[in-house]
Amino acid sequence: MNAPAKAEAARQNYAYDVEAVRADFPILSRTVYGKKLVYLDNGASAQKPQAVIDCVRRCYEEEYSNVHRGAHYLSGLATDNYEAARGKVARLINAGSEDEIIFTHNATEAINLVAASYGRTFIGEGDEIVISEMEHHANIVPWQLLADEKGVVVRIAPIDDDGNFLIDEFEKLLNSRTKLVALTHCSNVLGTVTPVREITRLAHANGTPVLIDGAQGVVHGPVDVRALDVDFYVFTGHKLYGPSGIGVLYGKMAILRGMPPYQGGGDMIERVTFEKTTYKEPPHRFEAGTPPIVQAIGLGAAIDYVRALGIESIAAHEHELLVYANERLGEIDRVRFYGTAPGKAAIISFLVEGIHPLDVATILDREGVAVRVGKHCADPLMDRLGVEGTLRASIGLYNTRRDIDTLVAATRKAIEKLG
Amino acid sequence: MEKLARYHEFAESLALLDDEEMRFEYILDLAKRHRNDPFPERWMRPEYAMHGCMSKVWIVDQPSEDKHFFRGHSDAAIVNGLVAMMTESFSGLTGAELSALTLDHIRKLNLGALTTQRQVGMMAMLKHLQKLGARSPQALEGTGR
Repeated sequence: MNAPAKAEAARQNYAYDVEAVRADFPILSRTVYGKKLVYLDNGASAQKPQAVIDCVRRCYEEEYSNVHRGAHYLSGLATDNYEAARGKVARLINAGSEDEIIFTHNATEAINLVAASYGRTFIGEGDEIVISEMEHHANIVPWQLLADEKGVVVRIAPIDDDGNFLIDEFEKLLNSRTKLVALTHCSNVLGTVTPVREITRLAHANGTPVLIDGAQGVVHGPVDVRALDVDFYVFTGHKLYGPSGIGVLYGKMAILRGMPPYQGGGDMIERVTFEKTTYKEPPHRFEAGTPPIVQAIGLGAAIDYVRALGIESIAAHEHELLVYANERLGEIDRVRFYGTAPGKAAIISFLVEGIHPLDVATILDREGVAVRVGKHCADPLMDRLGVEGTLRASIGLYNTRRDIDTLVAATRKAIEKLG
Repeated sequence: MEKLARYHEFAESLALLDDEEMRFEYILDLAKRHRNDPFPERWMRPEYAMHGCMSKVWIVDQPSEDKHFFRGHSDAAIVNGLVAMMTESFSGLTGAELSALTLDHIRKLNLGALTTQRQVGMMAMLKHLQKLGARSPQALEGTGR
């Protein structure tokens, strides 16, 4: 069965005990302002299951040491656990080898690593990088820095008013000067899922490598970097129910081998002399200094957790809630949605006509509902949409219809109080 | 009028309320009361904008003799109410008197009903008023007088 068919089957047949899932997340039982917490800010950062919390605590209480450098028991144990986490990441995204997984501190750093290492080496004056109108600042600013430094041109692939990625317009931007395509897998504002396989096919036909920002994409559905044939794929741990302070860069080994180090220091070298220093092979070449050891191991625990639930089952659950939320919020006359592309992920951007989103968010907050408000680190997209900002409810694996009902009731209350 | 009279009125009113929920309702009432306050469009310009806010905020200083009188506005209703609280509270002071205000003046307003981020915004607003109050009379020429 191919991936879309499997996802559809999961949608139709999934058995998903969301109440049991919720019991795994201690923070969900707390109240805010005396109200039960309804956490719908998963796009910013997700809450952590007990398994991740326990793993992090165990690391510090029983298994902690530095990695790759000690002859003692604990260093060996910490190194084993850290490298096992690398393997879990590789299997999650079906990388060809664990050595293609580089740990960074977040997705932003992973993109900066590519810009600084690959970009400075292989992209020069007059060359072009294609991004899209719906990128997060993390996938805009590193390329602008490179543009300023090297005279690179950043070109922008458009979307339509519903948030659809316009693949034909994207194709028109590709030419002999295009040296990199860097696009989101899933818009953090609109939920639009880009056609990555088609993008890589077109880019590769043009001889151009592709970097995909999977910060949201990896959370909302299965990712197979080899099937997608991406050259780089980045994501962060904290949105995937793991600790903060850990990010991932996947790169094809043939490309990584040709890239110079990003930062220099301990752990990334073979031999240092004052005359000449030589570097390790990837991934260690790109992990200078003491890495985020416990965070990486915690990410491994988070991956175990979501894989045990079933990534397609999670996606099916979120899709069901997305449909329900669109229906219920859509019943409110003054609600306007931003991002209605078919197949979108469970990220809902909306405004209430006549009320500033910050005012709505303030009332929602008092009702215990956590959403994000503002520009979502996507200023150019806000300009494209012609808005100052939006409210964003981003659904996670523990959300329920009850959460959506509370969101809708709180939105109605905001209209009643401020409308 | 006694200096800081409006400030003390706000502080006393908020202190009399029983809990955070009531204080939040007070802030909402403030927002509703001030939502139609006139604020000329000519003042909604970048030179009057206070940066770093999630909503747009403009504050204009209209000094008279050595005292500063502030007018402000936000495109978000709740913030607009808070801007009114701040500009009313701290108008009528000299630059020296403004600079003597401390963040304790904000803390004493007992705005625990607001999120921490919003309270930080109130503190930023006080610093902004102090910055405006510290400008020389010459620098104020051509401003919102």
